[in-house]
Amino acid sequence: MKKRLVAFLLAAVMVLSLTACGDKGTSENTDNDSKQEQTVTKPATDNKKNEEEKVTLRMAWWGSQTRHDRTVQVIEMYEKAHPNVKIEYEFFSFDDYFTKLKTLVASDNVWDVFQLGGNFPDYMEKIYFLNDFIKDGTIDTKKISDAYLKITQDTAGNQIGLSNGLNTYGIAYDVDMFKAAGVPLPTDTWTWDDYADAARKIKAATGHYGTSSFTSSEFNAGCSTYIGQQGSLGQYGFFNLELTGMGFTDPQMLAPYIQMRADLIKEGASPDAGAELEITNIENDFLVTGEAGMTWVAVNQFPTIYDVCEKQGRTLALATLPRVTKDGNAGSNIQSSQMLCVSKDSKHKKEAAEFISWFQNSTECNNVLQGERGIPINEDVRTALIANATAGQKIMYDYVTLVGTFPTPEKVNVLSPAGQDQVVDLYRTYIQQVVSGEITAAEAAKLTYEAAEKLFK
Amino acid sequence: MGYGMTDQRKTANRIRKFFNNDNTVGYVFAMPFILGFLGFSLIPMITSFVYSFTDMTFGAKDIHFIGLENFKELFHDSIFLKSLRVTFKYVIISVPLKLTFALLVAFLLTRKSKMVTLYRSLYYIPSLVGGSVAVALVWKQIFARKGLFNVVWKQIFGAEAAVNWFGDEKLAMYPLILMSVWQFGSSMIIFAAGLKEIPESYYEAAMIDGANGFQRFFKITLPCLSPIVLYNLIMQTISAFMVFTQAQIITEGKPNNATMMYALYVYNNAIKYSKMGYACAMSWVMLVIMSLVTFVIFKTSRKWVFSEADS
Amino acid sequence: MKTKKIIFKILYHLFVLAFGFCMIYPVLWMISGAFKDNQQILNGGLTLIPKTVIKTNFATGWKGFGGITFTTFFKNSIILTTLATAGTLISSAFVSYAFSRINFKGRGFWFSCMLATMMLPGQIIMIPSFLIWHKLKLVGTFVPLVLPYFFGQAFFIYQMMQFMKGIPRELDEAAKIDGCSKYGLFFRIILPLLKPSIITTIIIQFYWKWDDYMGPLLYIHSPKLMPVSLAIKQFADPSSITDYGSMFAMSSLSLIPVFLIFLFFNRYLVQGIGTSGLKG
Repeated sequence: MKKRLVAFLLAAVMVLSLTACGDKGTSENTDNDSKQEQTVTKPATDNKKNEEEKVTLRMAWWGSQTRHDRTVQVIEMYEKAHPNVKIEYEFFSFDDYFTKLKTLVASDNVWDVFQLGGNFPDYMEKIYFLNDFIKDGTIDTKKISDAYLKITQDTAGNQIGLSNGLNTYGIAYDVDMFKAAGVPLPTDTWTWDDYADAARKIKAATGHYGTSSFTSSEFNAGCSTYIGQQGSLGQYGFFNLELTGMGFTDPQMLAPYIQMRADLIKEGASPDAGAELEITNIENDFLVTGEAGMTWVAVNQFPTIYDVCEKQGRTLALATLPRVTKDGNAGSNIQSSQMLCVSKDSKHKKEAAEFISWFQNSTECNNVLQGERGIPINEDVRTALIANATAGQKIMYDYVTLVGTFPTPEKVNVLSPAGQDQVVDLYRTYIQQVVSGEITAAEAAKLTYEAAEKLFK
Repeated sequence: MGYGMTDQRKTANRIRKFFNNDNTVGYVFAMPFILGFLGFSLIPMITSFVYSFTDMTFGAKDIHFIGLENFKELFHDSIFLKSLRVTFKYVIISVPLKLTFALLVAFLLTRKSKMVTLYRSLYYIPSLVGGSVAVALVWKQIFARKGLFNVVWKQIFGAEAAVNWFGDEKLAMYPLILMSVWQFGSSMIIFAAGLKEIPESYYEAAMIDGANGFQRFFKITLPCLSPIVLYNLIMQTISAFMVFTQAQIITEGKPNNATMMYALYVYNNAIKYSKMGYACAMSWVMLVIMSLVTFVIFKTSRKWVFSEADS
Repeated sequence: MKTKKIIFKILYHLFVLAFGFCMIYPVLWMISGAFKDNQQILNGGLTLIPKTVIKTNFATGWKGFGGITFTTFFKNSIILTTLATAGTLISSAFVSYAFSRINFKGRGFWFSCMLATMMLPGQIIMIPSFLIWHKLKLVGTFVPLVLPYFFGQAFFIYQMMQFMKGIPRELDEAAKIDGCSKYGLFFRIILPLLKPSIITTIIIQFYWKWDDYMGPLLYIHSPKLMPVSLAIKQFADPSSITDYGSMFAMSSLSLIPVFLIFLFFNRYLVQGIGTSGLKG
């Protein structure tokens, strides 16, 4: 009898403790989380009581450690100067950033201030236009020329964000390797034929790749530019100006470029898909490791690789993008490297805009940032930075000035439509298939065109 | 108090009976799983199933129902079809290799020696760390043009013999397969546990019959282990179908999609190209294929798995 | 005869050791990378001994970024991993007991559901799950990374079931005769005997969770809450410079907890795998 009672009690206790256990488990760890949360947001809530205007902004960017460190430093500067603003920041590597951003878009919870590049049309519905803030002076544009405001406007003229810096594409090359191969150094009007010829000669003379292929720049700097260089100034573009369709009608306009790329790869003058995989970032591009004579760069990357090569005793220089014909269009544009935007989900859009304005206009702030995101768009800031520029930075500034002198069409489109990533991936696959002989360059051109066209259907 | 002693006891009895009833006990203990399954698997699965009939893009708000369009498009998508072939190739080569290897090493380490535990740990280390990003980067470096493999290879066969692993469509898959085989630790541990349970008397009897090492392995060890082989086969097949991290970090599906694993293509569509609806449809096709394969393995297993009752 | 045996023994150990060395070579290379600079890592081939030993990688790496050090990242990883592992242990033990010992209505159905979740590709439920957690306002906390583990993990439930099948049923009968209820049976008989299987679970779940990268990427917003796995990836951003030395230094450090757990419980590992239940 006693035993049974014990058993019953035991069972009851078990059942109770089971449920209790379950609860405890969950509540314990929610506690834990809320504690975590509290420690993070504590200053915010504490001050809220004292000061009504206390504002917490959420901000995020992608980049490397240098960028993280410098940006955090300027955020702290800003917080010190504006005690009512607290900035909660997050930072990621490029791929992770966009994965994260997409989940936040899905859940209407995008950061107040966030960084975007030429792929901004993907996120249009979350971008709060800055037009009004510029009009009412919340964002100070006195020292920013209209041309530089335009680089971050959409086709309808809405201010998407404020550019973090100017940028353009170029070809970085190893001066000694050109000399060793007996190839004349690139001029401002060299052509793709000169380019391919140089690559082949460097391969023959040194055994190294003539040109490397930092793929994240190649599509925009090469394939897309190649279209803009044909016809009269501004006649063609890869996509049309309104970003509603293609900017050219004959797919075969792409074929010679694709053929050249495939030939160089086949001849070993340019890395194949396997070797390309070894290039994970600009710092271990084959040009930097001394295994190639040239590579594509977005010019804000140039000072870094210049310094690295200088340490190895090598000299790098910057050449313009080759042209289709000597007297044809340059096809290069000054564009925005990336920009800071205000999100529609933000509850503090004005404060977010104020921060963005300070980020671009404050010399003090940019002395810390050091143009790592691109050449500052504010005149005064730019002058201040140029005054203390390193050798590599000087080459970059001069180059951007040079490209600025090239005749450019009234309107250019440097934006990527939503879904361009997939087109670029397909384009690369087609080149690999031309290399392996599976398809011809003409077919690859047609397939690439069709894939791009499909974006607008 | 209107209740007598007996009434109370009756209620207590009833409660006890209720709590000790198999159904109650079963549901009490299985409750965590059932709740978790409904909340964390079933609801998301249903959502994803619904999405697979829509044009949902990651991030966008308006979703349109498009019927079977996604599924139709799948079978015109040449990369999708290639990813199917590639994934099957990966599974068919890597799983048997990995299991053979795991079994041989487990067998090798059945000797009674104090060192065996140490050795086993040594061989388990790759499985322990294999999931990390850093190790995948190391792997990539080993098979690079100037990596360890080619350094050694060139010393033996001359400078011209360098193998372009990731540049050649026909070869690119093999470093990935090797990496999977390299992480044979967990299968090995399971085999080791199984080997330990084969009665010594079986071997003694075979020795008396004059069976040599090979015969003992094939006539005793293998049949006794066959249920465990089946278990490992299924587990490894499932995980091989889902291979993702290595392909993403080491080859990114290149060259010419020769290493575009199914899971990687699903991920690319969902996250990189934002085509959630399409990706959902694709993962449902994957689920069906995997279930079929598992089913076939189970069905054929009757022919080669020995149960204790047979012997 | 005796010398032959000794020679064979030596050969055996030599072979096993040499082969084992090849097995862990990539791991050793990573550790040695922690003492090299970028130049040596990328161009210096695969030698294990650095030409010049760089000791600063650990200090630089530990500083982390944005003012948050690896102390925080390690703390986060430990909290996440410990909670998730504990949750897995408790819930999986309960559920496996129900499935392998109790004959309740619907057992077959729920068991097949469990098998199905083992085959489920994670990508299928990733986004819907995220949206659910967001509706619950729990994104940005540890909850989505920990709570699901308190509801049983199919793989471990299955492992424990296999192990439990090896625990003789006679024990159940004996306990019943002694007046032990089904609850008592679990806590007093089965659970203690399950120890080896529990330890196996600890090892495997610990390193799975420790290496997990996709989960924190989706659910953790603030760098202050990032675990080590995610923090290490921040060193390797393809769009700009990467400090490989620091990355390898931190990667090597990140393996230490996993190794410790493994060394500590290692001898139970093989014991903990139940195979008797697998036999037909």
